[in-house]
Order: sequence, then C-alpha cells, then structure tokens
Amino acid sequence: MTRSSRPEGTPDIPAQVFEEFVQALRGSDLSAESVALLRKALLEDRTFTEHALEKAILAEEPEP
Amino acid sequence: MIRVESITITEFRGIRGLALDFKGRSFAICGPNGTGKSGVVDALEFVLTGKVSRLSGEGTGDISLRQHGPHVDWRNNPEKARVTAKVTIPSLSKTVTIERSLKNPATAQVTPSDPAVLEVLRQVKAHPEIVLSRRELIRYVIATPSKRSEEVQALLHIDEVEQVRASLQKIANAREKQLVPLGTAATQARDNLLRAFGMSELATNRLLAAANAQRAILSLPPLADLAETTSLKNGMATPGAAQPQRIPKAQALADIRAAREALAEIMSDCTRTRVVEVTVDLNALASDPVVETGVKRQVFYTTGMELTEAGACPFCDTPWDLDGLIRHVRAKIDHLREVSLKCTAAETKIAPLIATIRKAQSAIRTVANYAALATPPVAFSAACDYSAHCGTTVESLAVLLPLAETIKVLTDVPIMPQAVLDAIGELEKAVAALPEPTKQDAAREWLAVAQERLEVLRDAMRKQKAAEEQARKARQVFDIYTATSDAVLTGIYAAVEKDFAAIYQFVNRDDEGGFDANLMPSMGRLGFSVDFYGRGFFPPGAYHSEGHQDSMGLCLYLALMRHLQGSGFTFAVLDDVLMSVDAGHRREVCALLKTQFPNTQFVITTCDPVWLRHMRTEGLVEGRSAVYFRSWSVDHGPSRLDDRDVWTEVDDNLRENDVRAAAALLRHYLEYTSAELCHRLRAPVEFRGDDRYQLGELLPAAISRMGKLLSSAKDAASSWNQGEIVGQVAARASAFALVAKASSVDQWQVNAAVHYNSWCNLCKEDFVPVAKAFRDLLGGFTCSDCGEYLHVLPERESVESLRCECGKTSINLRRKTA
Repeated sequence: MTRSSRPEGTPDIPAQVFEEFVQALRGSDLSAESVALLRKALLEDRTFTEHALEKAILAEEPEP
Repeated sequence: MIRVESITITEFRGIRGLALDFKGRSFAICGPNGTGKSGVVDALEFVLTGKVSRLSGEGTGDISLRQHGPHVDWRNNPEKARVTAKVTIPSLSKTVTIERSLKNPATAQVTPSDPAVLEVLRQVKAHPEIVLSRRELIRYVIATPSKRSEEVQALLHIDEVEQVRASLQKIANAREKQLVPLGTAATQARDNLLRAFGMSELATNRLLAAANAQRAILSLPPLADLAETTSLKNGMATPGAAQPQRIPKAQALADIRAAREALAEIMSDCTRTRVVEVTVDLNALASDPVVETGVKRQVFYTTGMELTEAGACPFCDTPWDLDGLIRHVRAKIDHLREVSLKCTAAETKIAPLIATIRKAQSAIRTVANYAALATPPVAFSAACDYSAHCGTTVESLAVLLPLAETIKVLTDVPIMPQAVLDAIGELEKAVAALPEPTKQDAAREWLAVAQERLEVLRDAMRKQKAAEEQARKARQVFDIYTATSDAVLTGIYAAVEKDFAAIYQFVNRDDEGGFDANLMPSMGRLGFSVDFYGRGFFPPGAYHSEGHQDSMGLCLYLALMRHLQGSGFTFAVLDDVLMSVDAGHRREVCALLKTQFPNTQFVITTCDPVWLRHMRTEGLVEGRSAVYFRSWSVDHGPSRLDDRDVWTEVDDNLRENDVRAAAALLRHYLEYTSAELCHRLRAPVEFRGDDRYQLGELLPAAISRMGKLLSSAKDAASSWNQGEIVGQVAARASAFALVAKASSVDQWQVNAAVHYNSWCNLCKEDFVPVAKAFRDLLGGFTCSDCGEYLHVLPERESVESLRCECGKTSINLRRKTA
C-alpha cells in the first residue's frame, strides 16, 4: 500500500520521522543492507505493510 | 493553496439555486437554524474534495452522499445536483473553475486543467480538514488520548507514522510469539538427549565423558572436544544394509517411562484445573458476540489493507480515495483492538497447555519407532492416533477460533483413551522381554541414539537461536522507531502546543492570560492537559467550561493547521464552531482570525447576528462579504436578506399581486436593516435587555441619526472653510431629507397607508409606492459607488467620520478647533 505525495509547501512529518529512524538504525545491530531496504520501503516506495517491513528488517537473517 | 472567489450551488442538499460571491475574502453566512447555512458548507466541501463529511463517517448510518446529497426532489437524479466554484491559486496566479456533480463525485471538471492546476487541486482534496464543524472541533479536546492521537495525526497527515509503528510492533510481537514453540521443541530435544545420557543436566564435559566411555568399549579413540559438528559415532562402523535394526533396550525403556510421565502430566489435576480455568475464560469470550466476528474481521481488514494498492476497494472494486479508504479501514481495525487484547490474554493462558500436549505428542512419536521394530511388531495404532490427535488439538488451541470448537477441544484435553495406555504397556512388556545386548552392542546402540538426539538438539537450538536473533532485532527496531517517532512528534507537538497556548491566550486574555498547555505523545497516544488558572494541569474537560473547550478546539485546530500548512493555510470553513462561546470571546476570535491569520480566507457560518456584527466591526469580513439567510423552504431553499434579492423578490411578489408576501418581506428586511443601520451609525435607541427591538423604534432612530450626522458634517466642513464639501454634504442632506419624508416613517403611527402592520391590507397600486419609498430611503444610507451602508468611525468616543467600505465616501465630522 503506498501513499501519494503530500501537498507542496507542507512539512512531510512522516518523512522526517522515517529519516531520523533510519539514521538511528545506523547505530543499531541491523545490517547496512537492512537499513537500506527499510529506507527504500519507508521513504522511496512509501510502503508500510508488515510484509514489506519484515522483509527489510530480516533481510539477512536465516530462517529458523 | 487556494482562495474561493465564488460558488454556485444547484439542487444540492437543501439548496435549489444559490450563487455567492466571496471575492476571495473572508465571508460570513448568518441565519437562524435550518435556513441552509450548512448546505453552503457542504457544497464548498463537496466541490473542493468530492466528499461531504456530514454524510459519511461515524454515526451517519444509512446516509450516503450519492443518495442524500441531491435536493430531496432530485434524490433519484444526482446529475441535477452540482456545485461550481471559481477559485484562485495564488502560487500559480491562476483562476480556475471547478464543477462537480453528484453523479460522479470523484471527478471534477476543471478549467483550465493543466497539470500544475490539477496538482494543487489534488492537494486541496487531500485536506478535507479545511472544513471544521463543532463536531470535529470537539474531537481534538475531549477525546481519549488514543482517539485524539488518531484525529490529530489524521489532521497533520501523520497517520503513516502510526501505521508504521503498528506494523513494527506486530512484527516484533509475531517474532517473539514464534519463540514459544521453538523453545518447547528445544526443551524436548534436550530432555530426550539427557534421557539417552541418563543425566539430569546438560554439561559438555559430562556428555563427553559418557560418550568416551562407550567409545572405549568399542576401542574407538576418545573425543577431545564436543564441537558443533562433532559426531559421537566418529570411527564407528556403519551397520550393513542387511543387518536388522535393533531396539536399544535401555534407551527404549527410558523413553517409554518418559512417555508415561508425559501422558500422566496431561491427565494430572494441574492440567484439569488449567483446562477449567481457560474454559471459563473462553466461554466468557464466546458470550460476547463481537469477539468471534471481531477477530475474523480484524484479519479480513488487515488483509484488505495489505491488498489495497489502487484507489479501489479490493473486495468490491468500488472506487475510493486511497487515503480515505485507508483511514476508513484503519478505524475499523482500531475499533477491534479491545477484542484483540482479550484474545491475547486467552492465548497466554492456553500456552502452557499447548506445551504439555506437544511434549506428549513428541514422546509418543519417539516410542512409536520401537513398536515398529519389535518382533513381532507391537500394535501401536491407538497411541499413534492419539499423537495425531495431539497435533490437531495444538493447532486448534493455537488458532483459538472458532471459540466453540476450541472450547470443545479444550474439554477433551485431559481425557486419555485407555487404549493408548494399554499400547504403551504392551510395548514396555515387549521391550523388557528383549535379551540383554552384549556390551559392544549396547555401546553401539547408545552412541547411535545419543548422536541422533544430539543432532536433533543442535537443530532445535540453531532454529531457536535464529528466531531469538530475529525477535531481538525486530524488538530493537520497534524500540528505536518508537523512541525516534516520539522524539520527532514531541518536537512538533511542542511547537503546536506553544502556538496553541498563545492563540488561546489571545482569545481569553481577559481571564486566562497565563494559560499554558501540554501535548504529550507516547506509544500511539496523545495526552492533552491544560492549565487551569495556575492550579495545575488537567484534561480540558475537567474544569473548563464548554465555551472554553470549544475555544480550545478552535485554537488547537488553528495551531495545527498553521503548523501543517504554513503559508499554504489560505482557506478554511468554520461551520458554527463557537456555539458555546460567549459574545465577548467571539469578538476576540474575530480579532484573532483577522490579525493572526491575515492570509487565510475564512468562510464562517453562525446563527448569531451579533457575531456577524463582530466580524464586521473587527474587519474580519467586509460589508458585502456576508449573507443573511432569513428563511428556508423545501421548494425554494434559503432566502437571502440582501438588497438584490429582497427588491427582486418584492417586485416578483407584486407582479403576482401578492401584496401580503411583499409586505412581509419588506418589513422583515427593514427590521434587519434598521438594526444594522443603528449599529453602523451609532444611533441612540432606548435599550432593551431582551434585544427585541421594534422596527418603529429602530428606523426613526437611524433616520434621525443620519440627518444629524449630515448636519454635523456640514458644520465640520464649514469650520474648515471647505465650501465645495459643504455644498456636497448639503445636497446629500437635502436628498436624504426628501427620501425620509417620502417614506413618511415619522407618520406611521397615524397614517395607515404607511404603518407596516397595515401594509398587507393594501392593494398592489397602493403598496408599490410604499416599497419604492423605502428602497429610496435605504439608498440614502449608502455609498453611491459601492452601494454599502455608511458607518461612523470610530466605534466609540467622539465620532470623526462617516465612511463606506470602499473609501469613496468619507465625510469628515470633526470641526476645526480654535
């Protein structure tokens, strides 16, 4: 599920939150690939489904 | 983003045909209840967004835009209902016409329709919050923290933030949930291994020592270490294909004992008690009709959300605005949150039962191999069937729904078929009767079983470790997201909070000049507390009056909109939003809107003429930027009370020889206008506390006041030696005296032909000159250029000038001082 872009001149608060979130993840245990995938999902594709986010977070994790 | 220049409404809601000229300026719509004001609000919202919030959302039941949007006489012909607005887009310096019909609300005819224009209109459409009614306003103030958070997030278009938070939380929860069965599997594998080793604790050195003791019997070199890939059987000859597989007697007896213990645990009092407790809880859940369907719906809605990719419902393909659809479904999911919490509590209680059943299932599977290897084989189908039954029981309990099914399955849990116990008894006998193996055979069997179970444990632990790592990462990501989003939102809310407090202080500076407020976001909730006269911070509804709460709602809305749209906050509709606010504070609201939001065009509806007057005196709306609806009928819609409409309607009535209607309208209009004139000219009138002034009290006062003002103006011009102006004012005064005399207002107490109570008894020929006389009289109060009624300045203290809105008429009233 994706959303359209927001009105010109209005602050994109979600993008601000997502950007800071991705920055904060860089200091976490998450791999660079996962961070990049999350960034793409949240800020480029604006896809917020559980499936898409889980795929990004656990990109390098072996399946149990 | 836009300013609305004009709107034309046809057969829409309660309006048959209405055109309003906003001229891109703030505009007031005043009139008693039920005169069609909200119809204009609906039309504005409809033409700009394709929706009417009053006809959708919570509490609207069977009402729909398509069916109930058209005038009731055209309810089956939505094409007749249409709204056209002319808007300017300041950023593009363009004027655009938007036309929308109820036949196809989602699509507007836009002229010109270049991409830049369409993009701006798309942005406007994405902001239905430009229309604020009291119903919406109060949601920001007295809602629960989680509901308020949703409302404010929707307003700020930050619902995506919550959407991601919810998704990350679900991922973390799901990953943690999967640890339970993996943990159970690892525990079972460890128990099996310990049983093979005949130990009660897992210690590497002891395992190694036990394995090396067996290897020594077979003359195999000892293992130096027990690494991840170490094989306990390393160097041991693989049995030939023809060699029949043997039952490891000692191990088999130990496993059979373990199976008996597992089955005994299922039949134990402890399990029975737990079953009873959980059954009671599930019966309570099952008695709530919302639960069963609620969980199904939640799954359905969540799936629907994931499948929604285009602007249509994934189920019925009905076209939707994507954001609207998402909000709609999200609201439904959130509504079921309570149900979800109850189910989670039940699942937590069921989890130990599931672990017990899984243990029994695993134990039976282990000993079933021995039954097959026995000679002759032991009949073990009853135990195998029970093991399979344990599997389906676990599945049912884990899924939880349907509840009736789960309750039934649960009730059967402690019931153990005797055939299972008998089968295990037979197997035990058969194994016990086996000859004792040689020392070497026993060592070989021991090492084979131990290696097999070690591998199972290694696999289970690997899976568990991987799952723990996933769960840890998912939780870490969620925690980081929560901390980050809370920090960002706290910053945003701090800015909004500051602005809100300043705005509220402006409106209530007479008694709450030190007002302050706190907006506190946390985990999808938004707390809101306000200062109460320095006594502490409390929820807005705790001590503040309803009027103050309304005022807070508007101030919070304005602060949020200013933060959200910044300079793009150019248009808003305030639909009767300050019902509970007193006149004094409404006046301050006018001043607030005028001074703090100078670039925003407000369309404001009210049933209170005093507030309309405040809007004018504070300069929020100019003279022509208001309309007064005097009445409404289903056949004609709202009737306006302005010059153009009234005189046209009077003429129409007279053409139809309906003197009664013309007289009633003229009287009504004069009542309204004479009050307005007295206000504008500051005419002295005997005060009435009930505000019920008679026409006979107001109009003569206005005429007298105008005459005196013109006389003062003549004197003032003379004092300044302005001969030309003296002449102009004198001419105006003479003309006014003539029209005043023609109306014979001063005689209507004695002259039946001019007394308004008798007008309806006149014939058409007698009433026509009466109407003309009053039309001319009112013309004497206006500016010849803009047609506006004149007013004096300033509003208090000594009068200084008599002016109109356009500034063409500006008559000095101050005499030259010596």
